[in-house]
Amino acid sequence: MTSHRFGARNRVAIAGFAQSPITRHADTTLGVLTIQTIRDAVADAGLTMDQVDGLVTAPLFPSVGSHAATDGHSLVTTTWLARRLGLDPRFAADVQGQLPVSVAIAVNAVASGAADHVVLHRALHNPRGQYHASSSSQAGGMAQWSAPQGFFGPIAAIAMAYNEYAHRYGIEDGALGDVVVEARKNGSKLPWSYWYGQPLTRDEYLAAPVINDPIRRLDCDLPVDGVTAFVFTSAERARDLPHRPVHVTGYSFLNGTLQPPRVPPHWPYDDIMDGGRQGITTLWEGTGVGPAEIDLPQFYDGFAPIVFFWLELLGICGPGEAPAFVRGGGIDSDKPDAVAGLSGGGALGNGRMHGTPQMLECYLQLAGRAGARQREGLSLALACQGPPHVGGAVMYSAEAF
Amino acid sequence: MARPVPVPDALTAPYWEAASQHVLTAAQCSQCSAFAHPPDDVCRSCGTLDPGFAYVPVRGRGVIRSWTVVRRPLVPGFDDVAPFTLVDVELDEDPGLRVVGRLLRSGDGAPAPIGAAVAVAFEDIAPGVAIPAFTLAGAP
Repeated sequence: MTSHRFGARNRVAIAGFAQSPITRHADTTLGVLTIQTIRDAVADAGLTMDQVDGLVTAPLFPSVGSHAATDGHSLVTTTWLARRLGLDPRFAADVQGQLPVSVAIAVNAVASGAADHVVLHRALHNPRGQYHASSSSQAGGMAQWSAPQGFFGPIAAIAMAYNEYAHRYGIEDGALGDVVVEARKNGSKLPWSYWYGQPLTRDEYLAAPVINDPIRRLDCDLPVDGVTAFVFTSAERARDLPHRPVHVTGYSFLNGTLQPPRVPPHWPYDDIMDGGRQGITTLWEGTGVGPAEIDLPQFYDGFAPIVFFWLELLGICGPGEAPAFVRGGGIDSDKPDAVAGLSGGGALGNGRMHGTPQMLECYLQLAGRAGARQREGLSLALACQGPPHVGGAVMYSAEAF
Repeated sequence: MARPVPVPDALTAPYWEAASQHVLTAAQCSQCSAFAHPPDDVCRSCGTLDPGFAYVPVRGRGVIRSWTVVRRPLVPGFDDVAPFTLVDVELDEDPGLRVVGRLLRSGDGAPAPIGAAVAVAFEDIAPGVAIPAFTLAGAP
């Protein structure tokens, strides 16, 4: 039988990071904010810019509306960056897809020796005007199957997926509020978060406007300007740098490749779970670690229902049991024995940072840098990204094994 | 502003032509007879690179698998009908054939009944342009 063990398991580590302030609209352009953040990350790792020989990003501007994307303003490519950082990197990659893809490229670049010190950044932009609105009167390509029918945008898609789930398992209305309140509680304690100092009550949640039933505005992460950057190097070199290394144990990603033919972004509930289950098998096989061994998961929560889906996908809850689990304090970060899957605030508690809050919290907790919210006895953390069938997961370890 | 109109392409022109006559069709692979929505250059079922998808008329009957109510339309032309209901319909011909469209009914804003039978209906939105939607069908 072929071994699917990941050959670079724990050979590459995160040595430092930086997080910009997360705002509705930054005072500078996104490119300038990215340069500042990368300079901070490189310094945090105890390195100088001339040691950076690899750049990786997914230059994504995820609005499905009618905005044009401009390099340095609405997204930031490695080419744009390298010129302005005065770098001629040995390795640079602008990749598509969710955050695990970028992490995989950075890890494999270091493991192969293509670069010694790789900076990975994710830069998110919130354009002026309505984020997803389209003014198009012509629907060609895939849009011919959705826009003329009134089916437009990911909120309607996740609303239908959640209603299918909620109907099947008899979930009561308002259950998502427990997820949002937990995310906002944690985000309100993060100085960089858009929601710093702004926790949310369940009553405030229930009073929020409904966008696509039953998805309320507060179930959706808020479009923001913000940049997160991480520095990757070999586990060996990381040991000589200032911070405790956090190793990348393995990853999985799927990008929806196993989904049956669907009109994008149509995500029937079973597509999400079946695809997610198949996708994460790669991670368990690649790392030799099972879901029961994870000390701290962090759940993607760009839309609140996705937290329930991840809880069930990892087997922390049985099918349909996640809402009661969350209601009972199962993910409450104030409880030492809880599965504190939103302790880093997630996207609902930070802003639309596309998975970096999950990655950052895994890093900070395993590096012992989480400050007042530091949890004890952690060895393995799992950053769960995206809706499971189009996302993936990255496993991080305090120790190399 | 008017609702967006579909721009048919070489692969999809027969679908929209049939729709303009208020006939719902589905793309079927000429090699393996699998349905696909949307059709593709490659059949995901048998892998042929020459699927020669043919649009065959379907009964236009199915069941609601899920729903949502759109309260703030993000595309032009829907403000007058908002809030409106979208349904995710599994067509009778194949459990894998799932189509999203409006549920035309009074009293929009309430949940749509998951599991209920629906029948296709068409909205004529421009000369020669009809968009498939659904109505509750009652007992079959």
